[in-house]
Amino acid sequence: MTETHTSRAVFVRAGEGGWGKGLLLRTDGKRDKVLSVTGGGIHPVAARIAELIGAEAVDGFRTSVPDDEVVAAVINCGGTARIGVYPRKGLPTVDVYPGAPGGPLAKFITEELFVSAVGVKEITEADSDAPAAGGTPPKVPPREERPSARDVAATVTGGQSTGFGRAFDSVSGVFVKFGSAVGSFVNTMLASGRQTVELTLTTILPFMAYVSLLLGIVNYTGIARGIANVLSPIASNPLGLVVISLVVSLPFLSPILGPGAAIAQVVGTLMGSQIAIGALPVQYALPTLFAINGQVGCDFIPVGLALGEAKPETVAVGTPAVLISRLITAPLAVIIAWGASFGL
Amino acid sequence: MEELAVMAQQADTGSSSGPLGVLEWLGSHFIGLFNASGKQFVSLVTGILPTLIVLLTAMYAITTFIGEQRVTRAVRWSARWWITRYTIMPILAVLMLTNPMAYSFGRFLPERHKPAFYDSAVSFVHPVTTFFPYANAGELFVWLGVANGVAQLGQSTVPLALRYFLVGIVVIFIRGVVTERITAFMIKRTGRTEVFADFDRQFEAAKGGAK
Repeated sequence: MTETHTSRAVFVRAGEGGWGKGLLLRTDGKRDKVLSVTGGGIHPVAARIAELIGAEAVDGFRTSVPDDEVVAAVINCGGTARIGVYPRKGLPTVDVYPGAPGGPLAKFITEELFVSAVGVKEITEADSDAPAAGGTPPKVPPREERPSARDVAATVTGGQSTGFGRAFDSVSGVFVKFGSAVGSFVNTMLASGRQTVELTLTTILPFMAYVSLLLGIVNYTGIARGIANVLSPIASNPLGLVVISLVVSLPFLSPILGPGAAIAQVVGTLMGSQIAIGALPVQYALPTLFAINGQVGCDFIPVGLALGEAKPETVAVGTPAVLISRLITAPLAVIIAWGASFGL
Repeated sequence: MEELAVMAQQADTGSSSGPLGVLEWLGSHFIGLFNASGKQFVSLVTGILPTLIVLLTAMYAITTFIGEQRVTRAVRWSARWWITRYTIMPILAVLMLTNPMAYSFGRFLPERHKPAFYDSAVSFVHPVTTFFPYANAGELFVWLGVANGVAQLGQSTVPLALRYFLVGIVVIFIRGVVTERITAFMIKRTGRTEVFADFDRQFEAAKGGAK
């Protein structure tokens, strides 16, 4: 082992059911940390990458690292929030789940920056003379730096006087202004429609398909009745709901229950079906919504804080502060919701 | 598909017996399971999706028209007082930047308030979906799942939506205040008082510089 660590590279390819062509990762002068944002310590994938390229694996839940020191981020996200945050920053992202571009940040998740369904065996040593993947991330301008509709309109109307006289200019100016205002309005609406359809196709419809299959199985096989028998006594009194909220907000459980709100969504749908058949009284709908929600965002604290440009010390005190706070506020939320549910 | 469903029902009455009967039972229930799932899917797609698509389009357009700069000004203003910091600030952030970019507004706060703001904002991403589903369309079913059940009873979901939204505001306020206190406690307990006092001075200096 006489070779220098800085020149070693690994190739990370997509695993079975994964997405992406694969990433070539290596350290360079400043980039020497592999960020593991998976909850519960350093993920083996992050540890393996770090070991092979001679970088340091860092637990993103305990500390935050400046973006320009990160070789790659290792995440476990099925596809709403975390999946897009690091690609948006231009950081190579390794997802240990079989995620694919989806969610509101889907457009930032490109083949150059993202690979998913990665296990330890998908990481192989690569030739050291190949270019580093983290070297020149494609630049994506943030929303505020992209030209606004008004700027675009301004460039359209900003023609110089053509010498036909002032009256004509002012009249045509009004028309051009009007025309470009209509144009920018139509374009904004069209872009919004496109964004909506994209979101519907990539996020909403897949979830509907999955929930439908789940509900179909649950209803057709009679599991629904079984769940009703278990859940109804717990969920049909305020105390039971308080217990549910306490359980989901336990500090060691809440980061696991969080990703994509998948569990809250499925439980919400099941509770809804119980309300529909009358196993749960309607007035418990409101406290139920808060009971299944005590863990919201607990999987995302370091990332959310990093988005707010928090310092590492803030992440260190903030993560446990939020987790502990939930133990108090989650049951309290259920009690408040229960109090507000009378008359529904 | 209809024929298959009919076949499934006929098979359910059990005309055959023996090994063939077992196979028939398996076959009919196999397809019956997916028929039931398919019906669920159609009811979700026809029931929720049409309104949702036009609503999302309208809201995306409105947020574009209002523009991020104007919102940023309003958010900065609301960051100053503790009452607005955990009510107006997270609500504006979630409505305008949506989940997950809403948390980037934490940059307008001193370090000691960032965890509380995050807790407050992230707790609003589900109540917000009642009237403004675009803000967190990927996690709609936390609300829609329960609301669907109420709708199937033939009741309006609007009173429930309104209360979910309003109680949500109360809860994010409480969460913000409680987490702010616990953060302060954690700073003291872990011996970081000096570090955070330093952060506060940097923040004040930066604010002075900005003016």
